[in-house]
Amino acid sequence: MNGEAQATEGRSPAFVVSPLRRSLQKATKTAGHSLLFLVAAFVAVIVLFIFFFVARDAVPFFQIKGFSEFFTDTRWYPADDPPVFGALAIIYGSLMVTAGSAVIAIPMGISAAICLSDVLPFSVRQYVKPVIEMLAAVPSVAFGFFALVIFAPMLQNYGGTLLMWAWWLIASPLLLLASLVLSEIAAARFPDEKRRKLMQRSLLALFGTASLGLLFVIGRNLQAIEIVTGTNALNVSIILGFMALPTIVSVAEDALQAVGRDMREGSYALGATRAETIVKIILPAASSGILAGVILGIMRALGETMVVWMASGNSSHIPDPWFNYLDSIRTLTATIAGDMGEADQVTGSARFHVLFAMGLLLLVISFISNFISERIVVRQRKVLSGQ
Amino acid sequence: MQLGTRKLLDRAFTALGFGSIAMMGLMLLVVLVPIVGNGIGAIVFRGTVEHRRMLYNEFHRGDAGRLKLELAESDAARSEVYGMLDRFEAEMAGMDAVRREEYRPKYEQVQGALRALLGPLPHDEAPALARLKYGQTRWDKAEERLHDLLFEKVWDYSNPDEMAKSYEVSRSAAFKGTSLVKLFPYVENNIDRLLQPRWTLYWGFITDSSIDAHFFGGVWPEIQGTLFLALGAMLFAFPLGVIAAVYFTEYARDGFLTSLLRSANSTLAGVPSIVFGLFGLTFFINTLKVSESKSVLAGSLTLALMILPTIIRSAEEAILAVPKTYKEASLGLGATKWHTIITVILPAALPGILTGGVISLGRAAGETAPIIFTAAVSVGSDIGLADVFSSPTQALSWNIYNLASEHEAAAEIRHVQYGMVLALISIVMLLNMTAIILRARISKKLKG
Repeated sequence: MNGEAQATEGRSPAFVVSPLRRSLQKATKTAGHSLLFLVAAFVAVIVLFIFFFVARDAVPFFQIKGFSEFFTDTRWYPADDPPVFGALAIIYGSLMVTAGSAVIAIPMGISAAICLSDVLPFSVRQYVKPVIEMLAAVPSVAFGFFALVIFAPMLQNYGGTLLMWAWWLIASPLLLLASLVLSEIAAARFPDEKRRKLMQRSLLALFGTASLGLLFVIGRNLQAIEIVTGTNALNVSIILGFMALPTIVSVAEDALQAVGRDMREGSYALGATRAETIVKIILPAASSGILAGVILGIMRALGETMVVWMASGNSSHIPDPWFNYLDSIRTLTATIAGDMGEADQVTGSARFHVLFAMGLLLLVISFISNFISERIVVRQRKVLSGQ
Repeated sequence: MQLGTRKLLDRAFTALGFGSIAMMGLMLLVVLVPIVGNGIGAIVFRGTVEHRRMLYNEFHRGDAGRLKLELAESDAARSEVYGMLDRFEAEMAGMDAVRREEYRPKYEQVQGALRALLGPLPHDEAPALARLKYGQTRWDKAEERLHDLLFEKVWDYSNPDEMAKSYEVSRSAAFKGTSLVKLFPYVENNIDRLLQPRWTLYWGFITDSSIDAHFFGGVWPEIQGTLFLALGAMLFAFPLGVIAAVYFTEYARDGFLTSLLRSANSTLAGVPSIVFGLFGLTFFINTLKVSESKSVLAGSLTLALMILPTIIRSAEEAILAVPKTYKEASLGLGATKWHTIITVILPAALPGILTGGVISLGRAAGETAPIIFTAAVSVGSDIGLADVFSSPTQALSWNIYNLASEHEAAAEIRHVQYGMVLALISIVMLLNMTAIILRARISKKLKG
């Protein structure tokens, strides 16, 4: 720089900068740079602060009450004398709705992501993406309102019929496909073509009748179910599943796109159908990225407050039997939101601090799962770029 | 496997994908259609004369002369009803004590149903609550109240093994042989004259304050609070986010420190919203004491932290999407790096940055959990811009929860709740549409 400046000195003095001004410029540059860095580091400071301050208010609870009651007791009687702060049922409720929403969101999310990345032409994709974005943009309280005011009464009044239709809608194509494939695989042992065809048809008829029977028997049983309360774990799981979908779809789609064209073309060239290509080649290659998306989506369900607060029934007990999704439950987030109003903030009672303990638990879970999903994404990027 | 089966499986696989996407669209429709449909009902509905009387008394709005005429006609029809009540009371006074006591509870029920339909009866004391001062203001509700007047719901407990069943009995049958029996057909036949329903466009739902815990009036304080909170959050988060994005894209070198900062960003994005609320309570209010208790300021700061990662990420993407040639041309002309960023890169990236900002604004407006402990109250006075540092506010998101779950008469004011949800969704969706359209324009522009 210096040499250049001297070389141009004769011709255009405008480029000459005095040493004082130059050092001033340098100082401003460093100052500006560090200012930018400080702003960028602000986020990290916030994260530290969140951990510190939430933990600071959570620790007194564990000092007063210890760990065992919080994690092993199912009785949540914060207003009794002496109070009991057993959060096991509440933690279980959180896990239950998270698992329920995962069951709904994961298959739908992954198949939607595949459809977006491999099936739909670009022109259609342009119109589908906004739909997913709108679904992501609907405020959680609007979903909660829907769950409470529209969906819960519907479940309560027509619960059995709804369950039956859902079962038929999901199970009938699956059973049909399964009986087709099974009959073919079973018949494949016969070398003689005529006998094989006959065998296959008779097996298909057999499996078909069996699955029809299964459809009707289970459907009838489902229809007989009377849902006592519409504000239950099933309601919340369905809504949360749809809320988690956009995250899963967008991250999984990115992961699928990251698997290059060459892999797909190689597979097609070997005669594989699109489904075979995707299931056997693309999905394994993109699995870690998809997993990262699934973790992020599920975290959204676990951390969601308004829907579970409004529509889960808020009853702190482990359902009986433990997998009964038609029972009311209570989650960590809803407990924090709901109990803060009654907790005494001024005197700093255990009742106040226990809510921070729950917050800390959520924070730690979200931190760990975020960390894992980030590692996964980084590793996948490395693998795919061939390092 | 045979080729046919393989093809079938392939088709089924594709169908699964289409089905999933269709389910998402369907879910969006299933959620939005009833909310939009019923929400519009808060603004466009058949208002009764009671609605117009309420508007005139509480908000001093409406055509006084016309209202007078309507009230005169309504009162003429009502005096007949009230006359029947007086006659029956006189008749009751003349009955023997046993029969009187038999009729009294039933008669009181009739009186209650009439109050709910037409407002206070002539001999009543003036009620304190606004909701009791007026009869039904909405025709759809009035029809339900009319049904309550005509029929009595009776529960059948005869079979102890089953849940009690309810059935309805005509009230007029209970008063057979008395003078009151004429009241029921009279009210039924003259309900139009009594209440005078008329299609009403009530824009006041958006611009009015609420009266008596949202029984009457509108949701303006909530809309205003939501705007205050969301714009306040943007005020803090947007500059910070853009500056951080500039650092990450233009200055940060790949290294441990940068990757640490980046993972801090994604950690912040993953923090559950309710934990932000806890943090806002313990940090902004209890530690920093930015305000004595809940305030718009504390809520905005909390929301700002929540939307910061989104803004940083979208701003980063927008800056990275600016073609490299722009930057190189500017640097080649002798501009400094900082000058290039300010005059070339940021203006080129601005639409993209704004897109992210608009989406974040929508998210801040719709979020509830962070403001529960930091900013939101269910009832309170309308606040002005000067109060944002010290007073809490109502907000659409919080009041939707509050009215739907905690209001003492949640089922009575469903239309208000729907209207509120519609207002919130309109704000959020409008912002998101803007972002989507903005982005489509950018991608067209970048393609050339």
